[in-house]
Amino acid sequence: MTQPIRILFIDDEERILRSLAMQFRRHYEVLTESDPQRALQRLQSEPVQIVVCDQRMPGMNGAQLLTRAQEIAPQTLRILLTGYSDLDAAVEALNGGGIFRYLTKPWDPQEMALTLRQAAEVAVRQSQVASLPASACPATALSVLLLDEAADTQACVEAFCQAGGHRLLRAYSLDEALAQLNAEPVDVLVSDLKLAGEDTAPLLKSLAQAHPRLLSLVVTPFCDTQALLKLINEAQIFRYLPKPVRRGLFDKGLQAAAEQVARWRAQPVVPPARLAEAPKEAREREKVGSLLGLLGRLRQRLTV
Amino acid sequence: MSSSALARLLKPVAALPAAMSISDVADRLLTAEHKDFLSLPVVDDDGRPLGLVSRSKLQDIFMQRFGRDLWGRRPVVEVMNPQPLIVSLETGLEEAARQITGQLQYPITEDFVLVDGEGRYRGLGTVLDLLKAMEDRIAQRNRVLRKALIELRESQTQLVQAEKMASLGQMVAGVAHELNTPLGYVKNNVQLLRELIGPLFELAEAQAALGDCLNAADADEQALARALENAALARERAAPEMLAGDLEQLFADTQYGLEQIGELVVGLKDFARLDRAMSEEVDLNECVRSTLIIARNGIKDKVEVLTQLGELPRIACAPSQINQVLLNLLNNAAQAMERFGRILVKTWAEPDALCLSVQDNGCGMPPEVLKRIFDPFYTTKPVGQGTGLGLSISFKIVQDHGGSIRVASEVGRGTRFLIRLPLSQAATLQRSA
Repeated sequence: MTQPIRILFIDDEERILRSLAMQFRRHYEVLTESDPQRALQRLQSEPVQIVVCDQRMPGMNGAQLLTRAQEIAPQTLRILLTGYSDLDAAVEALNGGGIFRYLTKPWDPQEMALTLRQAAEVAVRQSQVASLPASACPATALSVLLLDEAADTQACVEAFCQAGGHRLLRAYSLDEALAQLNAEPVDVLVSDLKLAGEDTAPLLKSLAQAHPRLLSLVVTPFCDTQALLKLINEAQIFRYLPKPVRRGLFDKGLQAAAEQVARWRAQPVVPPARLAEAPKEAREREKVGSLLGLLGRLRQRLTV
Repeated sequence: MSSSALARLLKPVAALPAAMSISDVADRLLTAEHKDFLSLPVVDDDGRPLGLVSRSKLQDIFMQRFGRDLWGRRPVVEVMNPQPLIVSLETGLEEAARQITGQLQYPITEDFVLVDGEGRYRGLGTVLDLLKAMEDRIAQRNRVLRKALIELRESQTQLVQAEKMASLGQMVAGVAHELNTPLGYVKNNVQLLRELIGPLFELAEAQAALGDCLNAADADEQALARALENAALARERAAPEMLAGDLEQLFADTQYGLEQIGELVVGLKDFARLDRAMSEEVDLNECVRSTLIIARNGIKDKVEVLTQLGELPRIACAPSQINQVLLNLLNNAAQAMERFGRILVKTWAEPDALCLSVQDNGCGMPPEVLKRIFDPFYTTKPVGQGTGLGLSISFKIVQDHGGSIRVASEVGRGTRFLIRLPLSQAATLQRSA
């Protein structure tokens, strides 16, 4: 690593900025901004690898800012840091801002340090290759695994696969899903949080570790900020789409996933810019561990 | 049910054949079983009513000189009323009452004839029984209405309570989240202070060791050199002159954060004063300030709040209720913003009243909305997002304080609420839920 990692902290409370700057100035080059507009200008003019942003600020909220940040500097790793458990903000920050983590105030200093270390690791790996413009990445055919029996989800995914010439795989239980994932190369996963009565979150979390390049789109009727927070941090999900699904939003999510996969295929040597946190809860960690065992063939294939 | 209501009025009086003589009819009317009736029915061979012959008609006849001799043998059809009140048993009680009272003549001299679906005579009904039945029915209705009224009052109280709890709950959740910001940096700062102070202790230790070494009579040169080097190293690591500024800043921020947390907690306590319904000496500006502390977190990303608080005499009021009104107005104003906006809260004193205005530069309201905003359950928010009671409760609270609340609004320019609380209303203040 020749250049130090630059982190931009954005919060309308200066004391938060001072505290974070003091904590991390020895490990990173720390920039701070209390005004969202100035922060965006800064992103336009300077290289920044990691953005950590507050949600509630006068003039512009964090989710909006991170969405703009993704447009201005798509390479940045974006982290939302908020004292409010606000589902809409989390959904917007994920779907629009493609956030890497969702952190809550008051934060645990060690955890914050770990998160930034992980982000920095990804940033370093990313910096080793030049990013390709979308135009340089020809559209390719994907394999999409669908883990939801709802008719409207199925219709959306089928239409998407037909239009793009993608391969559609189905599974109706966790066992079938594991078998499919072990046998077939899958690029995109569309899943409800429940499949035949079983919780799919542990599978999503296992996949985030076993197959970081797999993009998961979660469609769910449940609206739970805590659950979403864990899906972002521990399963690195790509999109969170509330049911009933909105066609336009769903299509945009699938399209974005296809573009991402195309970009990765155009530069196959790069390690992916994704790194999930291990589940915090012991029981879930155990479950993820055993699922990882069941995904042995998938992991073998990926490491070859 | 209604047809059986009429059936309950039915008295199966034997009908008179058309040819029955007037004096036989008169004799029958005198029997005990007929004493409750004003009249007797006359039917044809087919059982269809021909008319009613009334007690008063027969009395008129027999009171004439030689009346019984002249009329007694003649058939009853000659003196009966050929157009009696006829009601079908299938008619409902109310409809029957309507028909009967519509045609009834004074003085009441007859009963009414009850017929079946085919128009055949079934029996007589008396007006008195009908009136009793109607009275019962009305009494029953009244009971139902009274019960409905009581239930309505109860649910209204519950709704008012629910609105209060909803706004309180929203506020508490908001404040709880607001606490997370100062908690965030205070917690982090304490951890940082702990880390920064470590090297200072090491420095102190190294310097103490050096001092010991210097004071020791038997210290050799090597030990002294090592102690000197250690002290220098520790000094370099701790860098106390660099640390001073950081520590100062960390302590100042931490203290500020704790004060902020304290302020929020006090604000919460001041705001909620639920038990103290009434207070004699309230500073309205204090109400504005504590409500702003509480409301700030929920609205700061949408609006900037400016205040122009004038000098006010103290006033007797229920501060928690006034706070509720203020919070409601501030939240409404913030929600009316299409982009980042501004709210101006002003207070001033007039000779006989205190005035408070809340003005925003939000989207404003068209006249058709404006004239309904104080109506209970009126809301412009999507279903499930507002009870529609906020402003109607605010209206009632101000009214209970003997004051007035007025509103002016213009679409695209904003809205201004003006509350006037009279100064000399202490005596007329009402306690309200």
